Amino acid sequence: MATNQQLPSKEQTLFRHVVQSYESKQYKKGIKSADQILKKHPNHGETQAMKALIMSSQNKSEEAFELCKVALKNAMKSQVCWHVYGLLYRGQRNYEEALKAYRFALRLDPDSSQIQRDLAMLQVQMRDYAGYVQTRRTILQARPSSRQNWTALAIGLQLSGDLEGAEDVLHRFEETLREPPNRKDIEHAEAVLYQNTIIAERGDYERALEHVNSVLKAALDKTAVMEMQAEYLLKLDRKEDAVKAYTKLLKRNAERRDYYDGLEKASSLDRSKSEDHEKLGQLYHGWAEQSQRSDAPRRIPLDFKSGGAFREHADKYLRRMFKKGVPSTFANMKQLYADQAKKETICELVESYLSDGGAEKHESETNGPTNGSNPSKNSKMDPATTWQLSVNYFLAQHYDYHLSRNLSKARKYIDRAIELNPSKTDYTYHMTRARIHKHAGNVVEASKAMNEAREMDLKDRYINTKCAKYQLRNHQNTDAVNTMGLFTRKEAVGGPLGDLVDMQCVWFITEDGESYLRQNDLALALKRFKTVYDIFVAWEEDQFDFHSFSLRKGMIRTYVDMIRWEDRLREHPFFTRAALSAIRIYCLLFDRPALVEGGAKPNGSSAENAAEKKKAAKKAKKDAEKAEAEKKLALAKKANPKAADEEETAKKEDKDPMGLELLKSTGEKPLEEAMKYLTPLLELSPNNIEGQIAGFEVFIRRRKYLPALKCLLATRRLAPDHPQAHYQSLRFRRALEEDKTPLDPHVSAVIQENFISQIADPEKSLETLNEEFLFAHWHSARHVQAGVRLLELLHPELEPAKGKATNHLQQTVGEKGTTIEDAVEGLRVLRELEGSREGRVEYLRIARERWPEASVLRDL
Amino acid sequence: MDIRVLHPSDIPHVQQTNITNLPENYFCKYYLYHALSWPQLSYVAVDVSRPKKTPYDAPKIVGYVLAKMEEDPADGVQHGHITSLSVMRTHRRLGLAEKLMRQSQRAMFETYGAVYVSLHVRVSNVAARSLYEDTLGFKNNGTEEKYYADGEDAFSMRKELDYLREEALDDESDEEGGTIGQDEGAEVGSAGKAGDGADGEKKKERKRKVKVGRGLGVGELVERNESAPQTNGTS
Ligand SMILES: CC(C)(COP(=O)(O)OP(=O)(O)OC[C@H]1O[C@@H](n2cnc3c(N)ncnc32)[C@H](O)[C@@H]1OP(=O)(O)O)[C@@H](O)C(=O)NCCC(=O)NCCS
Repeated sequence: MATNQQLPSKEQTLFRHVVQSYESKQYKKGIKSADQILKKHPNHGETQAMKALIMSSQNKSEEAFELCKVALKNAMKSQVCWHVYGLLYRGQRNYEEALKAYRFALRLDPDSSQIQRDLAMLQVQMRDYAGYVQTRRTILQARPSSRQNWTALAIGLQLSGDLEGAEDVLHRFEETLREPPNRKDIEHAEAVLYQNTIIAERGDYERALEHVNSVLKAALDKTAVMEMQAEYLLKLDRKEDAVKAYTKLLKRNAERRDYYDGLEKASSLDRSKSEDHEKLGQLYHGWAEQSQRSDAPRRIPLDFKSGGAFREHADKYLRRMFKKGVPSTFANMKQLYADQAKKETICELVESYLSDGGAEKHESETNGPTNGSNPSKNSKMDPATTWQLSVNYFLAQHYDYHLSRNLSKARKYIDRAIELNPSKTDYTYHMTRARIHKHAGNVVEASKAMNEAREMDLKDRYINTKCAKYQLRNHQNTDAVNTMGLFTRKEAVGGPLGDLVDMQCVWFITEDGESYLRQNDLALALKRFKTVYDIFVAWEEDQFDFHSFSLRKGMIRTYVDMIRWEDRLREHPFFTRAALSAIRIYCLLFDRPALVEGGAKPNGSSAENAAEKKKAAKKAKKDAEKAEAEKKLALAKKANPKAADEEETAKKEDKDPMGLELLKSTGEKPLEEAMKYLTPLLELSPNNIEGQIAGFEVFIRRRKYLPALKCLLATRRLAPDHPQAHYQSLRFRRALEEDKTPLDPHVSAVIQENFISQIADPEKSLETLNEEFLFAHWHSARHVQAGVRLLELLHPELEPAKGKATNHLQQTVGEKGTTIEDAVEGLRVLRELEGSREGRVEYLRIARERWPEASVLRDL
Repeated sequence: MDIRVLHPSDIPHVQQTNITNLPENYFCKYYLYHALSWPQLSYVAVDVSRPKKTPYDAPKIVGYVLAKMEEDPADGVQHGHITSLSVMRTHRRLGLAEKLMRQSQRAMFETYGAVYVSLHVRVSNVAARSLYEDTLGFKNNGTEEKYYADGEDAFSMRKELDYLREEALDDESDEEGGTIGQDEGAEVGSAGKAGDGADGEKKKERKRKVKVGRGLGVGELVERNESAPQTNGTS
């Protein structure tokens, strides 16, 4: 290392120790050696920098930064110091600053391949492909003998869209090889397939096919090459060969849907043409004959067959499943319910099985001579019971499903199934009973029933998970955490919840947050959604190490896959779900800033509020005590030398378990915070209507009219009849009318063209438009709710309007199409109206009359 | 149901399936580590008949097998290892676990010349043991005491993969001059021998020191540091 502060040789040795200790993660040792140097040479910058780097690995990032700044003062011209400075920023995900620091370091030491590589990693992490390509070129020039350096450049070119360049680089490397690599060289084998994917991405399937054929024999990833070959053959319309290729693939994996699709296309068969059905049927029949154990060729024909052919096939299929007693049969069939006729046929068939001993009747048809497996070999059930149990279970699920719901029938069948079930540990049927309660809106009974199911098999985590979920639906947050705690690591910091956060258990954290939101505990709800947000940040960060790891491993195709997945990471429904709730809370905090203070709850009279506050305060105290106890416990554990590092514990300890700090700090700028969740939503999931609706809510509050309009137009395009399309259109017009600040003429023009002249209908008053809307959608609860919200917006102070709104909402409860969820939402609207208490009591009375079991219809 | 190789984008749901079914859990990066080290070996079962709720629904994973190659085999024999396997309760007894395992085993053999595959199973896990022993033909190789965090013992099981060599040879003779050429037989044959064929790979693998997995006491993953000057690859 070039340095302007030469150390005596003893200290130089010590310095090397520091570096080694850092690399081998012996941090304490490293610090000790560094301190030894600093004792004699207190201003030795590079030692300080190395010490800072070690400290940052010990999670003392603030101190590390401080020290590194001192180091830089002492050694402005040291590339080590600048490099470390960059690494510290990198660790904080401040990539811009890290980049600058690396560049400084490189100016001081242009040939450092380590800094070059760190720079490259940063660039690809930041998706600065142009920069990445440039850096990788420099690295390659310095060390052209390494395959990795060529591959990395090719990846950069590919990702930046220069496929030709990428292919050329890979090709040039091949030419440098003097002798062909060993056939077992997996890195080489992968590189060849990577090259092939680039040729295919260029759209040159002819050449891709030729290339893949030439490596087929030697390929190590057989499945991949066979898939590539089949795909290209199909793309090139070489159908006969494609049939052969897909046939070979299916022999290896008869449960792969893509292969069947490929085979159909290659055979020129089209499901949408009824004249092809016969042949398609034969094709699948042939595959079904080949294996008793495959499901796909038996199940797929149900998708395209219809009428009598469907009935016949469904009959065979269902009988086979019920005989074996496959509990997932309904899950496998319900997709067909979108087709009314199929739904009815299935129901008729299965109901007829009740009085049909069933099992033996079709023996000869369903079981060919090849059938060697005895379906009930592992169960103690006689065939007749297996059959009856399966049939009753299916019918229970059928009548529980929303497209064919009749809960009293569902209950009848599930009770029968429970009677038939000979097992004391098989909780399947009890679980469904709980689900039926849930669909009746009775989360109290559902939670109880699920807990009973759980108790049947205490060793099974699946039912344990279900039970916790049902507890959350019933506001039993503490119970839920304890239930989950039966399967989490006992030694985890922060108890079961700490472990679940560690293990990135997104579903639980989200459900917990939604549960708190239903209970109007905004602080804890926000806290949970923020945790989900942070998990996504971690998932994004996770890719970092693989930028170098994958180059060493040589698995380039999957690395590129990962990069592309990470690019769209927040498209995942896990993110969307948490984000929508977080945005809702931040909008609420913007509308009622008082909520931020003291974590007050929305809705309800002030008396109720006071009681709730007291309760919450008590709970907070209890939780704090518990947290304290846990901390002590953790500390006690730490005394044990094997337990986690001190720093580790300190890092994980939650200083804001109730989320009150979070509520306060982010509640001050709620819309800014909302944007953090909203931006990825709009960017990655533009066709998710909920995202667009949420986007409008945020932008209209920020008076960003054009982005608001963009969301509104998207909503109207995705679902013109959506209640929010109406609500937000009127709201937009009103916002424009009320805003007295003159608009930018450009903005005005856009609004005029896209909104005023197209949507706004300015001839009519907002009141008239809303009346018309309510009149037109009288029977739809969600539309009436939207109309009522507008009534409130237009006449916030007028009691008569509130009375009218209340009546409207009450009327929706009786409408045929109204669901329990609609009714719950109506209750929420009613509360937000802050109308008379009697109005709410009456609403609940009507609703409870209709859904007597629904515990979700409670007035919080 | 669809059985296919695991993609990085499947990881959130694989992780969810794992934590729903099993007490041994891992963070995303550990799954990534598998997917990016041995992308051919891990498989998922996808419920394709679930009605879509939004245009962005991720494939609904109802079962997975997470598998790897042993990095520094103590016995010097190239072999695969099953890190985790589970199927959602709602989709059990459909043959999914069996199919996932078979796909993974073949890939271990074809891609990495694995001689056998090993795994651990709780002694009390009736379903899994029946799957491994009766359906798939694993042999119990001994007990590891208190292997699991809660103190339960594990059976250490393994299955030889040489049956796949026979299968490959059979396929060829069926195929009369098909693309899976003849010289492959020799290739596969030599790969089947213990120790052989692994050498080329071993050299490359010396770089990684990886400590992983909850069962083994959670460690930090992919331990490497960016600023170490000498860590880059084979060059
Ligand atoms: C073990 C597990 C993965 C099996 O999944 P699966 O998809 O239901 O298994 P398959 O349908 O492929 O079963 C294949 C064979 O295994 C055996 N088997 C599976 N489940 C069984 C059970 N509950 N009891 C007895 N045998 C069983 C049977 O022989 C079965 O063949 P058959 O259905 O023709 O009789 C699943 O039960 C599970 O996820 N359990 C919880 C997680 C777990 O224990 N994982 C294993 C950790 S090592």
